[in-house]
Amino acid sequence: MLLLGGGTLALLPTKEVVAPEADLAVLGARAFQVLAAVAKRVVPDTVDAATVAKGVDSLLRRAAPEAQADFNKLLGLFENALPGLLFDGRALPFTQLSPESQDRVLRSWRDSRFALRRSGYHALRRICLATAYADEATWPALGYSPPSGLNAAAYDDSKVGVSA
Amino acid sequence: MTKLALVRASPNVTDGSSASGDLELKADVCIIGTGAGGAVTAAVLAEAGFDVLMIEEGGYYTSNDFTMRERDTTPRLYQEGGTRTTKDLAISILQGKAVGGTTVVNWTTSFRTPEDVIQTWHDKHAVKGFAYADLVPHWDAIEKRLAIAKVDVASMNANNRKLYDGCKALGWEVDTLKRNVYACLQTGFCGLGCPVNAKRSMLVTTIPDAIDAGARLVFRVRADRFVTKGNTVATLEGTLLDGEGIKPTGKKLTVTAKRFVTSCGALNSPALFLRSGIDDAPVGVRTFLHPVIGSAGIYDEDIYPYRGAPQSAASHHFAHPEGLAPSERWEGGVGFFLEAVPWYPSLSSGASPSFGAEHLAFVKRVKNTATHIALVIDGFHDDLAGGRVTLRPSGMPLLDYPITERLWSTFRFAQKKLAEMQLASGAKEVFSLHDPALHMTSKADIDRVIDAAPFDVGRLPVFTAHQMGGLAMGDDPSRSVVRSEDLRHHRIENLYVIDGSVFPTSLGVNPQESIYGLARLMATRLAARK
Repeated sequence: MLLLGGGTLALLPTKEVVAPEADLAVLGARAFQVLAAVAKRVVPDTVDAATVAKGVDSLLRRAAPEAQADFNKLLGLFENALPGLLFDGRALPFTQLSPESQDRVLRSWRDSRFALRRSGYHALRRICLATAYADEATWPALGYSPPSGLNAAAYDDSKVGVSA
Repeated sequence: MTKLALVRASPNVTDGSSASGDLELKADVCIIGTGAGGAVTAAVLAEAGFDVLMIEEGGYYTSNDFTMRERDTTPRLYQEGGTRTTKDLAISILQGKAVGGTTVVNWTTSFRTPEDVIQTWHDKHAVKGFAYADLVPHWDAIEKRLAIAKVDVASMNANNRKLYDGCKALGWEVDTLKRNVYACLQTGFCGLGCPVNAKRSMLVTTIPDAIDAGARLVFRVRADRFVTKGNTVATLEGTLLDGEGIKPTGKKLTVTAKRFVTSCGALNSPALFLRSGIDDAPVGVRTFLHPVIGSAGIYDEDIYPYRGAPQSAASHHFAHPEGLAPSERWEGGVGFFLEAVPWYPSLSSGASPSFGAEHLAFVKRVKNTATHIALVIDGFHDDLAGGRVTLRPSGMPLLDYPITERLWSTFRFAQKKLAEMQLASGAKEVFSLHDPALHMTSKADIDRVIDAAPFDVGRLPVFTAHQMGGLAMGDDPSRSVVRSEDLRHHRIENLYVIDGSVFPTSLGVNPQESIYGLARLMATRLAARK
């Protein structure tokens, strides 16, 4: 009975939290939805979750193939209700939880006694934040406005600055 | 067309992504990697009349590409798009990938190798092939070529000034440092490629020197393996990559040369050896990182930590615990040094604690935040062996770097000293970068808060921007990979390593100038053996 129940939990469907993306390079369709759900809780609402998830997918093209596979597995584990029940006391996939429950899951991973779960939390959190804050839409809230167009003032001589 | 653009457009420069067929090339010397080691070596050898071929996996970007936006630059200019980590994800690895290597994205801090470090190499690691004095004329020449000069106190930004003033207030050693810039406009974006070429990186100095002297460069090509015959490398085999440097084009590179110089940097150079089956020496072991932790001080006044030279001051007060009074020493006893770090929205937000509204509240205070770091000097204790590079199934490097209890104890002490320094320089609040953050507002908080905090994997971010070792030099073949007199492989007669991977320990200072000086010395010796 436990096995049957566990199997049922593991197979619960992922909720579509953003429009599906047809052209993904690294993330599976399900992983993309889980990442978007994480992004909704992690990044400011000045940048939308689907944009962040697509940005992460693009960035991960440059990671080692093994790291790409691990990232998909991490998102699967994050979503899965069976380990969720064991570790976080939840019986639903991450994407189906309320925002408050999703925050509790994130904190549960953050505060876990298992280094793997803590590192997994940071891997998801950091890549979402790094991608979101690379987007200029997030900058006004910080008062951050870097200059642009300075390139025209570039020195064009390799010998510039060489002392006599 | 500008002079640097003319170099980029030279017929000696080949974009591997647009090659119409396989490339089969010959040279006197093939240098793999164009960072601090490879580019200096290429310039010296080309100017001495050698037929030099440089191979580079990254792209050939110029100041026009350096837009001061991380979205445009970080994925292109850093290994694995900036996502590289150690095996257990505990340490984020910042390492450049472009024509010019990490020198394109470093923060310009320039130190000569400390004399006591070279003495340790001589005494404990059988590095007998050169002395400190042998490097001095090469550092002199490099400092002239790269306009390396000491920063004056008045030009420091507020971020660095807080470090300087805090250390001074506490009676700790601190000084301004040297930078490789000419007429710097203080944009603050050294880490994303200098938009005005004020940074005298390899991209705008020794690579043009080498090409002017007749050297060739092929970029967007990944060096797969050396093919050896007996005790020589016969050829280098490589894979041409697409315009983004991600996918193979299906075309191949084969290089035949009299000599091969590996200059791919720590992690990548050992990985090339392992892919080539050249593993009959301690390849990949003793890889060091100067692992870094950070602390954020919140000040009443404006800091604007993204403006001005990223680094202009450093404190080595805690670099040599044995020289401190017993009351100043700490559990773990590993030395460390203090520097400032610039604030870039993507990099720094990822390193800031928490998520959602809590995270936003933290980063919204950026204008008044100064961030300082402690860099731990690894490799000088018998029980601190650093990390080991192995190969992933795909052939890419994977670094296993266990953070031992001794390092965690040192991090804990360094976290206290960072907080103490920030409060001494006027911070009203101090946060560690733990998640959740540790919060301190007075000196009385420091021991209580930090002693109670967890220091463990995944509790606080740890970074490295200084990768060293993995193909150590030395004159004992059982403990080293290359000879110290010329950085030649102990067994393979035409294979050299000239980059930061030959360091037997870390350095205790930012590494670029150490690599320049050693490369120039060794390339000069190599040139004398025509």
